[in-house]
Amino acid sequence: MKTSDVIIIGGGLAGLMSAAVAASRKQFVTVLTYGSGSLPLSSGAIDFLNAKAPDKAIKNLPDYHPYKKIGIKNIEAAAKFFCEVAAQDNLPYNGKLSAQIPIVTAVGTLKYSGLVPESMDASMLADKKKIFVANIKGLKDFYANMLVDNLKKYFPNKTFEIAQLDLNLMGGRDITCMDAAQILTDNEQILASELKSLNATADDAIIIPPLLGVAGNFSRSIVKSQIHADIFETTCLPPSPAGIRIQRAFMNYLQKAGVRFYENTKVVRGVFDGKKVTGVVVETSAREKVFPARKVILATGGFYSGGITMSDFDYPKEPIFDLPVFFPTGAENWSNENLFSDKPQGFSMTGILTNNNLNPVDENGRVLFDNLHVVGANLGGVDFIYERSAGGVAISSAYKAAMI
Amino acid sequence: MEKVTVVVIGGGATGLGILRDLSMRGVKALLVEKRDLINGASSRYHGLLHSGGRYAVKDQSAARECIIENQILRKIGKSCVESCGGMFTRLDIDDPAYEELWVKGCADSGIEATPITLDEAFKLEPRLSRKHIKSAYLVPDAAIDGFRMAWQLIDSSKKYGGQVKTYTEVIGFDTVNGELRGVKVRNQFTGEEYEIACDIAVNAAGGWAGIIGKLAGVEIGVQPDKGTLIAFNQRIVNHVVNRLHKSSDGDIFVPHGSITILGTSSMSVPDPEDTSTSREEVENLLKIGEQTFEDLRDFRILRTFAGSRPLYIPPGGAMGRSASRGFAIVDHERDGLKGLFTIVGGKFTTFRLMAEKICDKICAKLNVKEPCRTAEEPFVPEVTAEDKKIAKKFFPSYGMELAADRLGAERFKRVVERLKNDPESRELVCECENVTRAEVEEICKEDTSFIVNDVRRRTRIGMGTCQGNFCALRAAAVFAEVGVESTAKDSLVRLREFLQGRWKGIRPILLGRTLRETEMTRAIYELSMNVTGGEPQ
Repeated sequence: MKTSDVIIIGGGLAGLMSAAVAASRKQFVTVLTYGSGSLPLSSGAIDFLNAKAPDKAIKNLPDYHPYKKIGIKNIEAAAKFFCEVAAQDNLPYNGKLSAQIPIVTAVGTLKYSGLVPESMDASMLADKKKIFVANIKGLKDFYANMLVDNLKKYFPNKTFEIAQLDLNLMGGRDITCMDAAQILTDNEQILASELKSLNATADDAIIIPPLLGVAGNFSRSIVKSQIHADIFETTCLPPSPAGIRIQRAFMNYLQKAGVRFYENTKVVRGVFDGKKVTGVVVETSAREKVFPARKVILATGGFYSGGITMSDFDYPKEPIFDLPVFFPTGAENWSNENLFSDKPQGFSMTGILTNNNLNPVDENGRVLFDNLHVVGANLGGVDFIYERSAGGVAISSAYKAAMI
Repeated sequence: MEKVTVVVIGGGATGLGILRDLSMRGVKALLVEKRDLINGASSRYHGLLHSGGRYAVKDQSAARECIIENQILRKIGKSCVESCGGMFTRLDIDDPAYEELWVKGCADSGIEATPITLDEAFKLEPRLSRKHIKSAYLVPDAAIDGFRMAWQLIDSSKKYGGQVKTYTEVIGFDTVNGELRGVKVRNQFTGEEYEIACDIAVNAAGGWAGIIGKLAGVEIGVQPDKGTLIAFNQRIVNHVVNRLHKSSDGDIFVPHGSITILGTSSMSVPDPEDTSTSREEVENLLKIGEQTFEDLRDFRILRTFAGSRPLYIPPGGAMGRSASRGFAIVDHERDGLKGLFTIVGGKFTTFRLMAEKICDKICAKLNVKEPCRTAEEPFVPEVTAEDKKIAKKFFPSYGMELAADRLGAERFKRVVERLKNDPESRELVCECENVTRAEVEEICKEDTSFIVNDVRRRTRIGMGTCQGNFCALRAAAVFAEVGVESTAKDSLVRLREFLQGRWKGIRPILLGRTLRETEMTRAIYELSMNVTGGEPQ
């Protein structure tokens, strides 16, 4: 089999981003995936850090933080590259590293992120007089009353109106936002007509669940051209159309770039030559198969995606290369009393430690393999959910690893 | 001032049994509970309806009570009981002499214990350790749903005029010249304090009985004894599987629907509120459990939980496992307080009998001649085949039978009516336990639903595989729409409270696939929903 310039293990955000960046450098790229990563859970927004100005805050992080190893230039380049890939698939993003943009969540809180899909960017909400919140007949998981109750706390002086919309979703099984977004693709006019009937003006906003398609082929212009008011999509319970849109945008990019993409392909171990990984072994139904590579990017995720596993306390494992895994020891450091805690959760800091090239290192800081790079939620030492950096670390570590 | 004849303190199985018994005898009774119903040992245990086998050697009068009550509860609480049967298994490390004593004890106590061959045992329970099992017997144990039984006891009591006030804490007693006039209480949500006038008060507060006693100035020998349990995500056993040895930790497995509960430990604790569990307790239970089922660790643990048995300790009596599982009734007239009774000790299986005994005493005092009828009348009427047939049209997949068991005839009818009239309400709020929005809406409206966790205990939302990942948002939203105004509107508080409740039982077992679920919870609720409402710093 032809030797890949780079093999990427994992098809979540970090894996897809690595593959796209490597492909943009005209490399021969192979992606091996097993499972779908965490994009179906994603809000659609890319968080960099829980700070008013993430770029400034990143500079003040401790040296062990992945961002410090990646470097601010790479983080900025990664953000730019991400937006380009998305935009190519009719999925424009707004934002920058120096500020935060609000989006409206399904429960009616505001959430701030560095990069947000244009369709969710709620910055203009503050300037609107009246806010319509769509309540869609037969749609599961979207509760306009709760959303209004909570959003009112941010905008006590605005007028809110719950608008009942009928998109013909009734009469079968439960319909999630994902289903509805799919149903409305090539059927955009029904949504446009219902929204039009609200007679909302340019001074108004209409908040809807994420229904504007699950891929670039949804025509937002059909909807937007008929409505004077600004439309904002919210987040939703998984599966999240906004996350799937990212996945589709990258998949389209990879396909055009000729990247070899293997789904349902479980990598079981590496093939080594001293400090080099020369390939990976995958398990197929009949036999094992070796994929040779000059470089390997490990993007298998953390506990959620199975990139790190732990069946006994204090024995976390990285199942493919058996890399050393950093973790906080002892029950008292493993988790906090509160689920939504004011400090990082120990278990979530579990992961692989690296040098500045994102090569895995042992407990003494020695590099184990110099052509293996670890990206995304595999990285240890930081609770990315607590510090709101999961998306930013995923794309920027992927960018750096793919550029090396 | 509100006035009733009897105030029952404590919303556990005992208190609810007393409320039902008194109401059926025509005595005007009101039950007050400081939190939600069956928040203590009545739900925080393995849900075993004892055959009495466990007490056949040590305490045969308790064993005899168990087998009689076991048969009664199967009859009057049909939809609460899963007649899975029980098995006692002796391992190679267990004392064979105990087996002989036990067989005799069962015979003497009227418990049918049928010896079976090891082949039969492995056929019935394929996961039993072939290495360790030496002998096996079948007994009429069963599983019982403590939550469900509690709501049915309430329904039954209400039918006869019984009243319930949850989140109503007793803060004192009003006495005049050594005679009880009323009970002083505080509403936990509003802080409002008021008095309920009564002739008699019954302290049925279980592990809290000592604290209530103190408020009245009487000493009560109750020792909270903490038991920790593990809930597995699978049905590991078909029967209740008991170790055939002197009762000890971690030697009972009970199947409930799609899960299995393993328990329990026994540890004296100073505070009945202590429902904490630890990695060490879990590890101890697993170590013992895997002697009976060698592949126990391959099963995903859903959560752990703990509760305090209210062991009755007479002056100079034994503690812990050696303490009697019998119960005691005290008329505090002997302490110079006329009108106050206390009932302590006992066990879940015999709650009805305990209620009968104390109600006989109370009625004698009140000069009420009505006999106890609680052993004859079912808690709630069963859902009829006709109603089920109608319901089938509206219920998603297999949810109908589960809902019929959960709801009882009248509530079931109301839920079906909602499903019929509002097709949108047919959507599932909880896919794990098959709970429709109609059912959640119905329960949200009940007068004991103050927070989402109350709705959980009544419907089982959030108690299944995903431990609330998906239904937390849905339940908080539905509750905000139809629940009681005073507490429901705070949807984010209710939502966080609900997930925090799940988290408590997850922390000590946070490994394996549970880590995956937890990261999912955090990704959804912290990243996609920002339920803490935090802004960038």
